[in-house]
Amino acid sequence: MIKLYTLMAVALLALASCDDLFDYHPYDTDVDGEKGINAKNIVRIEQACKGRDTIRFVMMGDSHRSYDEEKALVKSVNRIAGLDFLIHGGDFSEYGVTKEFEWHRDILNGLNVPYVALIGNHDCMGDGEYAFKAIFGEENFSFVAGNVRFVCLNTNAFEYDYSNPVPNFGFIEECIMDVPAEVSKHVAVMHAPPYSEQFNNNVAKVFEYALTQLPGLQFCLHAHCHKLLQDTIFDDGIVYYGSDCVEHRNYLLFTIKPDGYEHEVVYF
Amino acid sequence: MSTKWSIFKTMAAAALLVAALPAQAGGRSRLRLTTDPDSVINERYHHRIHHLQSAWEKMIPSMVKLQYAGGMGMVSGGIGWDYGRSRQWETDFMMGFLPKFESDKAKLVLTLKENYIPWEVGLGRSDISLDPLTVSVYVTSIIADDFWTSQPERYPEGYYWFSTRFRLNLSLGQRLVFDIPENRRKLARNLTVFYEVGTNDFYLLSLWGNEYIKFKDILHLSLGLKFQIF
Repeated sequence: MIKLYTLMAVALLALASCDDLFDYHPYDTDVDGEKGINAKNIVRIEQACKGRDTIRFVMMGDSHRSYDEEKALVKSVNRIAGLDFLIHGGDFSEYGVTKEFEWHRDILNGLNVPYVALIGNHDCMGDGEYAFKAIFGEENFSFVAGNVRFVCLNTNAFEYDYSNPVPNFGFIEECIMDVPAEVSKHVAVMHAPPYSEQFNNNVAKVFEYALTQLPGLQFCLHAHCHKLLQDTIFDDGIVYYGSDCVEHRNYLLFTIKPDGYEHEVVYF
Repeated sequence: MSTKWSIFKTMAAAALLVAALPAQAGGRSRLRLTTDPDSVINERYHHRIHHLQSAWEKMIPSMVKLQYAGGMGMVSGGIGWDYGRSRQWETDFMMGFLPKFESDKAKLVLTLKENYIPWEVGLGRSDISLDPLTVSVYVTSIIADDFWTSQPERYPEGYYWFSTRFRLNLSLGQRLVFDIPENRRKLARNLTVFYEVGTNDFYLLSLWGNEYIKFKDILHLSLGLKFQIF
């Protein structure tokens, strides 16, 4: 009998070694580990890039269930010389489950450079949006890298009703009205591009008009489509670059220089 | 909002009804088959009533359970029925409380759970026994507005193939059963402490095809108490 009690105790102790012993519900938003990633990383990016007019960053997105591929991506990105930061364009998760965000966060924390996270439509499933906000941060945010400000927007209108404006023109207006002195260029980043099924296409042109009011808009970035895209969606010369999904094992590498910018696709 | 709340209310009312009806029937004095020759004509009626009463009687829950974690909320409680030759099958209906954590509100989780307990092992004492293995399959339903059974109509067909409301769970566990001596029984015949180790469909799908996710990452512990009423 003592043997059996011991066996049960050993079985329980073995379990206690698991990372997250108790699970209340997949959508419980009971976050283990680091929170508020964007805010912390933005401080790091802004400090490291201060006063510079050349910046280098990676744009990727749609990691979904591709954990192994994302690990390989981190390994590849860590080899890039002179990289400043990485942008995850949304759809971290497949189901919006708390654990998925934690797994992806832990993988991206292996990056040598800071990263920022945008919310994707899959990240809004169930209570995923709340877990995303706790772990990464607000759905609309901006940060300054050198002389470039990145305006990051939630464009997953399909996942919201009118009680939550998507895209949030109030936020874009604030960015237009309040440009920091060191900023002369802008890049707009979003998960779903205009005219995708997620976007509020009733305001697609108004959205583009608002973005072009940002001084020195260089180009726009998006994820969501699971393929490499490069389109001048609105015939106004503003190029929208779409990053592929992690499963397809490539990402976009941008270098913004004083006299323009370069971009390339890196396969890993 | 209102439809979903009313679904919950209907389910809660149904559960109460199921719990209350047989209890009431059981509490009343039973109709007896009479030997009076004059009422032979009524024997069929009495038989029918007898069958009806014993059918309803089977619906009286024979156990009450409390469980911690297990994807059913933080704490859940409910009623259960056992059946089979050696009561090796159990069906539980549980209501769980899920605190709000980082979200906007606390939620209710309803669970329908089937347990299979193939063996019982004596431990050399008459009052304690061990169930070396329990196998459980259960479905949870999270009750809140942002969760759906299948994707809302506005989405293109097959946009989201999964349900965010219902989760299918699997678990294995062990139990220790403590018999309460007859003269000290108040509300229960025995008390069982148990643990279960389990996972759900979403976690299994995340594990599938990935080396990064280890089996231990998707397994979770749950602890419980069972009061066997009769």
